[in-house]
Amino acid sequence: MTDKQPDQDYQYLPRLSRRESLKWMGILAASAALPGLAACSDNTAVAATQAGHWPELSLAPVTAKGYGKDPNLIIPPETPWPRTLTPAQLTTVAVLSDILVPKDGNVPSASQVNVPDVVDEWVSAPYASQQRDRITILSALAWIDDEAELRFQKPFTKLSSAQQTAIIDDIAYENAKTPEQFQRIATAFSRFRSLVLAAFFCSPEGTKDIGYLGNVAIAGDYPGPTEEAKQHLDKMLQELGLSDYAYQEQRA
Amino acid sequence: MADVKHDVIVVGSGAGGAMAAYELTKSGVKVLMLEAGRDYDPKTETPMFKRNGEAPLMGAGNVDKDFGFYDATVDGGWTVPDEPYTMAEGTEFLWWRARMLGGRTNHWGRYSLRFSEHDFKGKSRDGLGADWPFEYDELAPWYDKTETLVGVCGANTGHEDMPPSSPGVLQTPPTPRITELLVAAAAKKEGIDLAPMHRAVLTAPKDIRSKCFYATPCGHGCSIGAAFQTTTSLIPLARETGLLEVVTDAMVRSVDTDDDGKVTGVTYVDKKTGKDEKLSARVVILAASACESARILLNSKSKKHPNGLANSSGQVGRNIMDSTGANIGAMVPALRNRPRYNEDGHTSNHLFIPWWGHQAQAKGELDFPRGYHFEIGSGFREPGSSVAGDLQGYGKALKDEAKANYGAYIGFALRGEMLPNEHCYMEIDDKVTDKWGIPVAKFHWKWSEHELNQIKHGLETAKVIFANMGADVGELPTPEEAILKGGEIIHEVGSTRMGESPTDSVTNQWGQTWDCNNLFVMDAGVFASNPHKNCTLTIMTLAMRNADWLATQMKQGVI
Repeated sequence: MTDKQPDQDYQYLPRLSRRESLKWMGILAASAALPGLAACSDNTAVAATQAGHWPELSLAPVTAKGYGKDPNLIIPPETPWPRTLTPAQLTTVAVLSDILVPKDGNVPSASQVNVPDVVDEWVSAPYASQQRDRITILSALAWIDDEAELRFQKPFTKLSSAQQTAIIDDIAYENAKTPEQFQRIATAFSRFRSLVLAAFFCSPEGTKDIGYLGNVAIAGDYPGPTEEAKQHLDKMLQELGLSDYAYQEQRA
Repeated sequence: MADVKHDVIVVGSGAGGAMAAYELTKSGVKVLMLEAGRDYDPKTETPMFKRNGEAPLMGAGNVDKDFGFYDATVDGGWTVPDEPYTMAEGTEFLWWRARMLGGRTNHWGRYSLRFSEHDFKGKSRDGLGADWPFEYDELAPWYDKTETLVGVCGANTGHEDMPPSSPGVLQTPPTPRITELLVAAAAKKEGIDLAPMHRAVLTAPKDIRSKCFYATPCGHGCSIGAAFQTTTSLIPLARETGLLEVVTDAMVRSVDTDDDGKVTGVTYVDKKTGKDEKLSARVVILAASACESARILLNSKSKKHPNGLANSSGQVGRNIMDSTGANIGAMVPALRNRPRYNEDGHTSNHLFIPWWGHQAQAKGELDFPRGYHFEIGSGFREPGSSVAGDLQGYGKALKDEAKANYGAYIGFALRGEMLPNEHCYMEIDDKVTDKWGIPVAKFHWKWSEHELNQIKHGLETAKVIFANMGADVGELPTPEEAILKGGEIIHEVGSTRMGESPTDSVTNQWGQTWDCNNLFVMDAGVFASNPHKNCTLTIMTLAMRNADWLATQMKQGVI
């Protein structure tokens, strides 16, 4: 974590097609007139009990059309479903994404490779598993803002890095020691984390960072493992007591 | 019949239909092929090098594209718009259909294992199911011809479950990868051998097709023809003869017969106009896929054939089998942070675990009949929507953990033989029809203790092999929890099975229906059993052999 204070005016700006940016401007106009849109839950109903608080969101199901059984696979369609995160939610996603995957040397952070757009596309999709994730992730975002209000009387994105870290430290580990009040959010946050990591590693920069070297046409035979990889295998087999059982190629 | 334009109508353009059309046109027979789906050109429509990150939802599968956005199946899947199917109460069955030229061959796994002498004579061995009406030796030369034409890479290793191909038939398999070599050693410790998978992927160029360039997932389709699909091989090769005509968007409603009960042609719905069209021919070959061919037969009722065509035995729609399936896997700590290299290969198993238990079975040491194999999932794969697994924490430590685990997961997919049973069959739903008013299939399904015992054995064996690799798969699920649904492996066969007698089978060994000598079935419906080996190679081999026999019969004027 960096200890710099977050930019209080930071707002994540999505990378959008023209069609989508027109919609986006509509949302911005609406949100200006509706302060407090970030907190989907009713804060007055939140009580910090032993079991913790949980925003019981009543979300209208997404009923948009999917891309269909026969989309153009060469030029994928702009996803036909509208994105649904508000500017405030998207900014929260961006801040959380960069806490999960910060800039690392020359490797960009999650928000720098537009992970929040992928998350938005995902939670806005009309398919069953994405709709399940929509409830999980929007609830997590609301919980995090509720928690920020309860602890520090500000939305999460307006907190200092130290304050943000204090909350994340409580919810980023799911194990036997996780206090009861954080168990549910820890599970939801795990799903969010998986999605952010996937979106990051799916980006060209993330794919390079993880070390994927395939999808490259090879002219001759498949070269197979490198010498370094083979040596590593030999060492593995030795340590596992499997050297005597090493594969012997049989070709007739 | 002077008005006959085509000698033979083939229904279906997948493995069986395209092979039949190829063989017949090579023999000088005029063929009209009907495909229920749309036309499809892999040369212009295949997203070969496209990355998950370019696709909606990182390429993840959903009800529109079950195997992911870039999967080659278009207009199909486990659900097809306008074409429902129904299930009896308590039944779960998934019916995959590909509504496109080339059918399921556009995206299949291309695993191409020969059935062995054991596989054709299961009933003689253990008294269960049915024997095939011929010996392995009779089919072996046709396997050679099919493997040569299709282009199958692999090796003859002398493994008891893998009959050898004749010298020079198989193309060289690609060299194994690290994860496969680790599994090989861990299995060998238990006396279980791995072998090169046989796959319908060219490692050397052939006719109009290029060799594999060891990149891009085969499931996207293969515009260069290296991964076998009929749209880049058999269909264009058959067209070169000038004797093949293909009509797409042609949904067959029925096979038509005359007053004597002899087949005269087919009636199909032209999906573009919604109108029925009638065609006549000397011979009709159904290769629409096992359950679709059975559905057409059951919907083709007449005075002579009141229970459906070719159904005097009452066996049409019966004896349906899928492969058994179960998945088990774990992170292998020893593989963490291993040296990176290009691990695509031909993007699927280079080595796999063939069935090793014939001897133990002969000695009565196992509590289930027949066999299974394990396919291995592993490697430095292109990241997708679930790349990272279940991790904790945040920040650089989190990312480093994700990178450490990359390529450290190994999964086994069990594929096993299922026995036919009286509870697994399809019939025609008496209430529901599809968009064109054609009555739909209704499925009945139930696994027996044979399959459940087999799954239990597989899970326990896998646990031991994983333990040898230093990996813990955790507590095993029950077989009932682990076994995948009927139809989920997409190996359904047996709905029009072949046999020795018209009383208990639908066709003879040539796929010729007992009831009509000019009506043939050349898809997996004719399978008398469903060995654990993927069915497509045998569909193609039977279609080649049986179309060759048919061509001779036609030339001799017998049919």
